Amino acid sequence: MTDPTDGAAPRAPEGRGVGRRRLLTALRSRPTGGQLVAAALCALLGFAVAVQVRANQDVALTGLRQSDLVRILDDVTERSARLQAEARDLEDTRSRVTGGSSGTRAALEDARARSETLAILAGTVPARGPGIEFTIGDPDGKVGSDVLLDALQELRDAGGEAFEIATVGGPAVRVAASTYLADDDGGISVDGTHLRSPYRFRVIGDSRTLAAALDIPGGVLDVLRQRDAQGSVTQLARLEITSLRPVPAPQYARPAPEDNGG
Amino acid sequence: MIAVLGLAVGIVAGLFLEPTVPTWLQAYLPIAVVAALDAVFGGLRALLDGIFDDKVFVVSFVANVLVAALIVYLGDQLGVGSQLSTGVVVVLGIRIFSNAAAIRRHLFDA
Repeated sequence: MTDPTDGAAPRAPEGRGVGRRRLLTALRSRPTGGQLVAAALCALLGFAVAVQVRANQDVALTGLRQSDLVRILDDVTERSARLQAEARDLEDTRSRVTGGSSGTRAALEDARARSETLAILAGTVPARGPGIEFTIGDPDGKVGSDVLLDALQELRDAGGEAFEIATVGGPAVRVAASTYLADDDGGISVDGTHLRSPYRFRVIGDSRTLAAALDIPGGVLDVLRQRDAQGSVTQLARLEITSLRPVPAPQYARPAPEDNGG
Repeated sequence: MIAVLGLAVGIVAGLFLEPTVPTWLQAYLPIAVVAALDAVFGGLRALLDGIFDDKVFVVSFVANVLVAALIVYLGDQLGVGSQLSTGVVVVLGIRIFSNAAAIRRHLFDA
């Protein structure tokens, strides 16, 4: 009997150990045909249990029914969509940060170009371009800082963009807005650096205009001739100014925030 | 005795042959196994009660398995397969527990 609907009901008293004796009897009994069939069924059950356990361990998905698979697929799809959205967000952020939007990039280029221009003007980076070399030989020491300053102003007016004053074969000083020239003990002092004759200006700009500016009547070359000094101008297609000025760190001034429009 | 041997032989065979479960059987095998377990426990209890009968055992075993599979199949067709499977497992589990309780009382008188 395998119908155990009354299984939990208390058994009628049949004496102690009866069940155990019956079990031993059954275990010792000779197999009949019916018991063989029961044994075969038990073997089938054991086989099925083992197979099922192994299948459960083996594969996660093949044993599932359609609705479960659909649910899992939904989960995976949803998760993938979420991750894709996250990836899109991160890519957006990255392109924003690295200047992906054209406005930001243009502003960055603008700022970089302006910074380069200012660096050349301030003399903090080397400069290169066409220009002139203007050498002044002053063996008698009659050329003072006033002549050199005139020459510098003349060259500035003629569109010179980067300037260097040097002793030929000696120290060189990059000229910036704050540069000063002073007479100094048989030579001149440029920003505190002592220079002696012969002096050499190296100027980047339109070489013909620069040369012409020095050669005007009553101009620098005339003055030099009056003072028994020699001036010679060489136009160069390519000139490099490598002397630099230190970058001063402003102690008090800070950049003021720009207007948004500017 | 021979039934216990059969069970052991079946488990060993299942472990060593490593067969793959056919796809059409995959949803039904777990339920069928639980139903067969129920039949085996019922048979053991009947044996202890002294009313074991080979024929009844075989018939109840086969019938249990078939009915369980049928219920699951029907549930799958109706779209409540997983819920119905759960229900079948719960019912069979209760029967197995009650049978085990009866067997325990026989063997340990408690």
